[in-house]
Amino acid sequence: MTTARPDRSVRPGPLPLRAVTLPPVFRARLSNGLPVWIVEQHRAPQVVITAVMHCGALMDPPEKPGTATLTADLLDAGTEAHDALALSEGVEFLGASLTFRGGLDGAYGTLLTLSGHIGEAVPLFAEALSQLTTLMQQKDRPASVATTAFMRKIYPAGHPYGKDPAGTESSIAALTRNDIISFYGDHYGPGCTTLIVVGDVTPASVIPLLEHSLGRWPARARIAVEPPRPASVSPGIYLIDRPGAPQSEIRVGVPALPRNTPDFIPATVLNRVLGGQFSSRINMNLRERRGYTYGAHSSFVFLKQPGPFLVSGAFTVAATGEAAGEILAEVDAVYREGITAGELEFSRRGLIGAFAVSFETPFQIAAALQALPLYGLPDDYYDGFLKLLESVSLEDVAGVAARVLDPAGMSVVVAGEASRVRDGLAALGRGNVTMLGPDGGEIQQEVPTRVSG
Amino acid sequence: MPSLRDVPFTQYALGNGLTVILSEEHSSPVTAVMVMYHAGSKNETPGRTGLAHLFEHLMFKGSLHVGDGEHFRLLQEIGASVNATTSEDRTNYFETVPSNYLELALYLESDRMGFLPGALDQAKLDNQRDVVRNERRQSYDNVPYGTAYEKSARAVYGGTHPYGWPVIGSMEDLGAATLEDALGFFRRYYAPGNACLVLAGDFAQDRASAWIETYFGTIPAGPRVPRLPAKQPELAEDVHLVHEEPVQLPRLFLTWPAAARGTREEALMDLFTTILTSGKSSRLYRPLVFGDQIAQAVNAWSDGKEIAGTVTIDATAKPGVGLGAIEARIQKVLDEILNNGVTDREIASAFNGKEAQLAAQRTTMLGVAGGLATAFTLSADTAAFNRELDRFSGVTREEITEEARRVFGGPRVALSIVPAGQRALASTARRSRDGGSAAP
Repeated sequence: MTTARPDRSVRPGPLPLRAVTLPPVFRARLSNGLPVWIVEQHRAPQVVITAVMHCGALMDPPEKPGTATLTADLLDAGTEAHDALALSEGVEFLGASLTFRGGLDGAYGTLLTLSGHIGEAVPLFAEALSQLTTLMQQKDRPASVATTAFMRKIYPAGHPYGKDPAGTESSIAALTRNDIISFYGDHYGPGCTTLIVVGDVTPASVIPLLEHSLGRWPARARIAVEPPRPASVSPGIYLIDRPGAPQSEIRVGVPALPRNTPDFIPATVLNRVLGGQFSSRINMNLRERRGYTYGAHSSFVFLKQPGPFLVSGAFTVAATGEAAGEILAEVDAVYREGITAGELEFSRRGLIGAFAVSFETPFQIAAALQALPLYGLPDDYYDGFLKLLESVSLEDVAGVAARVLDPAGMSVVVAGEASRVRDGLAALGRGNVTMLGPDGGEIQQEVPTRVSG
Repeated sequence: MPSLRDVPFTQYALGNGLTVILSEEHSSPVTAVMVMYHAGSKNETPGRTGLAHLFEHLMFKGSLHVGDGEHFRLLQEIGASVNATTSEDRTNYFETVPSNYLELALYLESDRMGFLPGALDQAKLDNQRDVVRNERRQSYDNVPYGTAYEKSARAVYGGTHPYGWPVIGSMEDLGAATLEDALGFFRRYYAPGNACLVLAGDFAQDRASAWIETYFGTIPAGPRVPRLPAKQPELAEDVHLVHEEPVQLPRLFLTWPAAARGTREEALMDLFTTILTSGKSSRLYRPLVFGDQIAQAVNAWSDGKEIAGTVTIDATAKPGVGLGAIEARIQKVLDEILNNGVTDREIASAFNGKEAQLAAQRTTMLGVAGGLATAFTLSADTAAFNRELDRFSGVTREEITEEARRVFGGPRVALSIVPAGQRALASTARRSRDGGSAAP
């Protein structure tokens, strides 16, 4: 066959994007009111079932941080009929997996199973979810020192987002059986759970199965009232000494936006330009132009209450102060001037593509859906998403930047070798550098800082 | 109900020998594009190891019409994900794109297949050679236990077997590779006749085929590369190796020669190693980690490759425990299984795990593309992807136990990685076997 040689100087463009939406969601309720959302996807004989519940660390009793996370962790520690080993053996035998996890806002139970074994797997999942044993055991949860300290410093004392959701060693040690039982009783039940089922199932086959296993789960618990939204905290510059650290971990940011904000899309467009992808302003400046880092990144963490905007990365020790300064300068530029028309187009194109490829697997679909009940977003949220994305204007983006990204209100947290980085941080001219302990608590002793210039 | 046997595909070859495999599936607007070259480290020659993997890097450094790094940037900008991998047997390049950008992905993949040499120069080679040498330091040499795999492989296969050297290559060879070596490797192995192009997902076959003809059909055919014949390692007797490293805890690696990939025997060892160490009640986990508490962790896996295979068990000792005790406990468990066999429930459980793994692979278009490309490249039988579960089906206790006796009754390599200055923690146990001789 002979074919004309293509003109390789021209980059092929896209075809029109076909309509992108989530596959249709079938919504039902079990007899105890438990909402069940079902999405059929028959590509492979696999089913994902996620229970999403409104009982993350945000609902921790104020004096008992770690309760929510530990309660979620304990769900697979056994039931009345099966101890932990028997439960995990039963699940493993089916080639299935069962995990429970507590987050800041929600708790999540996820079953992954072959569709051929769903009849055996669902009862084990339901048993673990609806029965709590009282065996206490704790899992290791390594957390980044810099991020933990950052969250602690940008939220007011007492607000759950400022605490490590896993609790502290002493708060966990003080928790009793009754603390866990009472938290479970208040927060777990059909009234504060949504079951999301995605994969090789039909509503006709899976609803009776769920009804049989979870239809009699008592409807006692109610969605709890959230604690008050965080008040603002005066910004600071903080340093955790890590002698010999080969790089400095830097976090810069401030509490910004909740998940259900109308600014969600403009903020996402903005972040992609500022630090949300490889060719973002922050990465191009700090990595490509200055060589301070292998990668620097920014994100909005969207939560029930205003979650943080943060810039993060690991930086050359000698350039720690300069790196923090450049991050603040990049934030300041979008705060004052927003982004350019070219950047808007570029960012939007990437987000549209990323949206198109984000509903491929049952896991991805379930993850997208679980945000709706947790954050109170409308059922048709994803249907309108692309239209909203296409209609974002330069003014929308500049507006959100001006509202939430004032660098003067941002804190800087650094974990690095204090003797080598302190002067550079002091030279930023943002006030004294406060030393923190490894848990993010302030160290009482006076540490002299020298302001240069 | 979907089965694991019904992934549809069509296959044909272009005039230049490039094999095209198309699998249409429209449930989401996603298309996976994969080019797999039948070239890996086993196609290298001693003294020039690491070239296949070095090429994986060079393929992102630009071709005649695409600038350095541009391939990655253009795809990331449209929300696609991009990557590449190199193994002993093959190198693959792949992207998952929003389906309306398929033509761009085909353009980019074809440009580096057809027009790489014109853009490759000494500076790029030197630059990427340094990057790979750093990668070797960071990912192998300076990582605890990081060179265990390559030490075991060298001992099991021997230095002249194509699996006897590591995929990343040796520092000396990476330093010695010339521009002519690199271009020679490309011309020999990166020709259309030694590759396949697989599309899986949301595309229209007619239009995709026309684009493929346009972008790939005009690339000149290259030399034909014959398949390497199967070559089992010839390990005559047990080998004990000890290596001191800055690690906290000693770790033992036991490696036996076993069957090549795609065979029933390899499937049996895959199931058997699952029975050994998968889950808290598995045969080795329970006594070593849970019961006697002499090990921190224990893993076993079957590593069947195109022309030969191995089975490995590794175990990390608890503080204060020597690897001799670990090896003796492992051997005791193996002896017990080889004598009394496994149970039907253990086989069923391992089979369920395999079925779940194959199902998970088929939930992504990239998983489907990778499975089809691998079946074609390594088995010359694309439909083997749809028969994958058959290899694991209908296994009896007798069948699996017999293969376990054959593999674990034979000689193996025992590599002890111990903390510096603590050679006494190594395993030097002599094994006595029916009809076998003790270790030297």
